[in-house]
Amino acid sequence: MGWEEVQVRGYSEFVRTAQSYHGRPIFALFCGDKDAEGKSWCPDCVTAEPIVRKELHNLPDGSVFIYCLVGDRAYWKDPNNEFRKNLKLTGVPTLLKYGTPQKLVEEECFKAELVRMLFTED
Amino acid sequence: SVQAHKEEDNPQRTMEVNGLTTPVPASYDYDLIVIGGGSGGLAAAKEAAKYEKKVMVLDFVTPTPQGSSWGLGGTCVNVGCIPKKLMHQAALLGQALQDSRKFGWQFTEEVKHNWMTMTESVQNYIGSLNWGYRVALRDKKVTYENAYGEFVGPHTIKATNKKGIEKLYTAERFIIATGERPRYLGIPGDKEYCVSSDDLFSLPYCPGKTLVVGASYVALECAGFLAGLGLDVTVMVRSILLRGFDQDMANRIGEYMKEHGVNFIREFVPIKVEQVEEGTPGILKVTAKSTAGDQMIEGEFNTVLLAIGRDPCTRKIGLDKVGVNINEKTGKIPVNDEEQTNVPYIYAVGDILQDKLELTPVAIQAGRLLVRRLYAGATTKCDYVNVPTTVFTPLEYGACGYSEETAVEKFGEENIEVYHSHFWPLEWTVPSRDNNKCYAKIICNIQDNERVIGFHVLGPNAGEVTQGFAAAIKCGLTKEQLDSTVGIHPVCAEV
Repeated sequence: MGWEEVQVRGYSEFVRTAQSYHGRPIFALFCGDKDAEGKSWCPDCVTAEPIVRKELHNLPDGSVFIYCLVGDRAYWKDPNNEFRKNLKLTGVPTLLKYGTPQKLVEEECFKAELVRMLFTED
Repeated sequence: SVQAHKEEDNPQRTMEVNGLTTPVPASYDYDLIVIGGGSGGLAAAKEAAKYEKKVMVLDFVTPTPQGSSWGLGGTCVNVGCIPKKLMHQAALLGQALQDSRKFGWQFTEEVKHNWMTMTESVQNYIGSLNWGYRVALRDKKVTYENAYGEFVGPHTIKATNKKGIEKLYTAERFIIATGERPRYLGIPGDKEYCVSSDDLFSLPYCPGKTLVVGASYVALECAGFLAGLGLDVTVMVRSILLRGFDQDMANRIGEYMKEHGVNFIREFVPIKVEQVEEGTPGILKVTAKSTAGDQMIEGEFNTVLLAIGRDPCTRKIGLDKVGVNINEKTGKIPVNDEEQTNVPYIYAVGDILQDKLELTPVAIQAGRLLVRRLYAGATTKCDYVNVPTTVFTPLEYGACGYSEETAVEKFGEENIEVYHSHFWPLEWTVPSRDNNKCYAKIICNIQDNERVIGFHVLGPNAGEVTQGFAAAIKCGLTKEQLDSTVGIHPVCAEV
């Protein structure tokens, strides 16, 4: 069956999408918004994205990978934004397995080994 | 089938073990294999990785009779210190809510406790710790396998995962850090119907009316927080409370718990447990016999929690195959002061050690220092003297050094002086909580400048208070120095 990717932007869209896939393993990568040239304001996200994408083929069958743009830099810096408050995100990029305490934050996302471990191990 | 190493490739070195000649591999898969991924094992493995050693950690949890299991991190993280302290905190918060009305907080609803909400939060936190350890190991290039390790020959272990697949690994050195598991009573119904601390912290239903069997700190801490959460709790004690601890302090703890709603049945042991009604929780009937005569009693409870002791996991890991001596009666492993067993390349740390304290920080310290001695040329040995500890009963107890009984035994009653005092925490005054329960005492050695050799405090935040005094005791604190230290006011510790 393989895995599929869904791209979303903003908190409400993320939550709606995650809920619609309830019952399947859901992995999510949260990054800062991209400009007209496709470059994110978040330099760590720029580094992490290709590394994460390279490991996507390891996702278990039936998984959903949600690629979520969180918003612009000002929104992200606000300590009360919904991602921080409700999903308890502390930084971007964050790669997580939805509904579990398993996540990788910031430089941890640069390590292919760790990304692979998140995708493949229980 | 078991895949053995290609012995024809290794020159045939042999080793005498128990009179049997067995081949020894000439080169090893790993520099170090750690059996057990708990406090001691993980500390040792992470330290060894710092010195660029090739390290493997094997961790495996055999499910409890009730089916409970958990992730990487050992007893402390999963079924010990961490969930215990969080649930103790939940109980303290309940008390604080009661106190808060006297401080002016107004709420009209009755305050109730939801076991599932608490347990889910605690388990979620534990899950993040399990994950954190796996990330740390992977990041430091330590190989981790969720598999049961046992010795099969010199320098060789067999690792069996939960699917039953076996693999063989060899290493130059081994550290055994397999820890302990709760003991059962050996009476009808114990494994079928009773739970232990291994089950309690992830119990998927509120335990309800609970009988706690035992008088260890595990028993009293669990009984304490269960009562604090509003449950009907009874503790069945065979003889004394907190064996090994200062008995005057132990009795004060018991008295406090009794006055605050915990029932005690003294000098009885259960002889059978039967199921009256199935359910989550169900109803169990416990029959107990007096230790002082023939009297029998019966009682019905929703949950029976056994906390009568813990046994080392050393009997089924093939120690006989490599000649490691264990204490046949207790299962503990005797080691020298460098944590080495009688087999030079096999070491051990943590709760399984004979005559050493069963505490997380001790295991961590021993594991780290051992590895530094092995791979970094260090010489420091683990100092097991004056290790502070805290019992998180409803009235917390912190201690460092000798109990009064042990000090009298060692130095003679005429050579020690005990200074003591009750105190009334300021925070307890307004809500009219007990004014004569908190208590502190120090035991001094008269012949050695009145050096403080024992420190005991019973009161809120005992652990926080004790930690600093432990450092002072390590520096050789005397009564005079203590007297000349100006107190911080208003805090409990100033007493």
